[in-house]
Amino acid sequence: MKTGETVLVLLLMGVMIVVGNTIGYHYPITDAMIGYLMIMAVTLIGMGLAKIMPIKLPMVFWISLIALLATSPISPYAGLITAYTNKVDFLALITPILAYAGLSVGKDLVMFKKMSWRIVIVALTVYTGTFVCATAVAQLMLKLEGII
Amino acid sequence: MSILKDWKIHVAAFIIVVICELIGAHKVQMGPGVLLFLPMLYAMVLGGIVSWPRLKIINLQEMNAASTVLSLTTFILVAKLGLIIGPSLVKVVQSGLALSLQELGHFLGTVILGLPLAIFLGLGREAIGATFSIDREPNIAIIAEKYGMDSPEGRGVMSVYICGTLFGAVWLGLLAGYLAALNLFHPYALAMGAGVGSGSMMAAASGAIIAVFPENKNEILMYAGASNLLTTIIGIYFCLFVSLPLTERLYKILTPIIGKNQANPKTHGGVAK
Repeated sequence: MKTGETVLVLLLMGVMIVVGNTIGYHYPITDAMIGYLMIMAVTLIGMGLAKIMPIKLPMVFWISLIALLATSPISPYAGLITAYTNKVDFLALITPILAYAGLSVGKDLVMFKKMSWRIVIVALTVYTGTFVCATAVAQLMLKLEGII
Repeated sequence: MSILKDWKIHVAAFIIVVICELIGAHKVQMGPGVLLFLPMLYAMVLGGIVSWPRLKIINLQEMNAASTVLSLTTFILVAKLGLIIGPSLVKVVQSGLALSLQELGHFLGTVILGLPLAIFLGLGREAIGATFSIDREPNIAIIAEKYGMDSPEGRGVMSVYICGTLFGAVWLGLLAGYLAALNLFHPYALAMGAGVGSGSMMAAASGAIIAVFPENKNEILMYAGASNLLTTIIGIYFCLFVSLPLTERLYKILTPIIGKNQANPKTHGGVAK
């Protein structure tokens, strides 16, 4: 996707996120708008870095790195960025994401109809397994380390 | 600006978001736990209904556009999580051991529960592709390279991928909310568990955990984000060098013991050709 298009789509997302954020979580709309633009800037910088860096690492890595640095103690603007981006609720971010996920579902239904019920059960077990096993190990380790 | 030509999809998404946020969160008591219905879950279901092919509201090209937007929005999610983790970087590093070891649960959890069940249900080598990982895009790439997409392993990985797209987020949202409400696990442990390596599933699971423990919101997002990041970044190597060979070996050991219908190859396979 071209850069201009990416920016446009992200702005469009921003409208949905900020509106949802205001309806569902009652944060002040101007603060949320500034917060979203900051999140968007971090995303774009990360995506740009992934393109120009000589080491090939996933985009997710670069975006996380920039985001971490932006609010970590070493950043001079950490307080400011945290204050504004906190006004965009995490849950307000997920609703549009899952709305788009839902809207793309139709294209997979044809394949889905060809699948047997057994694989559906296996799939749900696979997702359950990764969540429950990791939670159990985390619980044990956090207890052993005295963190919880 | 081809993506904006599919304006219908964006209008639909916008209306869905507004409706879902207006409905808000609801709880339903079920046995000892609570089923949480959050706006994100309605969004997925409503979106699914709108994109139902028979209704002919949106066409295939528009669905593909939605898919493209989806991959972009998960980057926004990654950025937001990074921004949350930043201030407590020290705290995250302090729980480094727990964070690292729980990754084993993520990587092996799919095989431990999924593989025996798949073999028991009579799946053939589909079971390997289906259960060696959570079967998101990078995992498909591994299977495609090693076996090809036309192989039984390829069909297995694609089937679980599609199920994940259709039900993954909704399922994990309900499951995580239910487990959290049971009070068996600490919210931090649940948060780490939520980092399964898929943006939307992680978001749904951690959203549900936050709804149960709102006072721990930032820690939950911090641990879920860190765990998800770890799963995503080391996932591809772990799956390639550990999970997949292990799943192969376990498949060979377990099939003669619990496999059935071995004489009839037609019953093997999750996807009919």
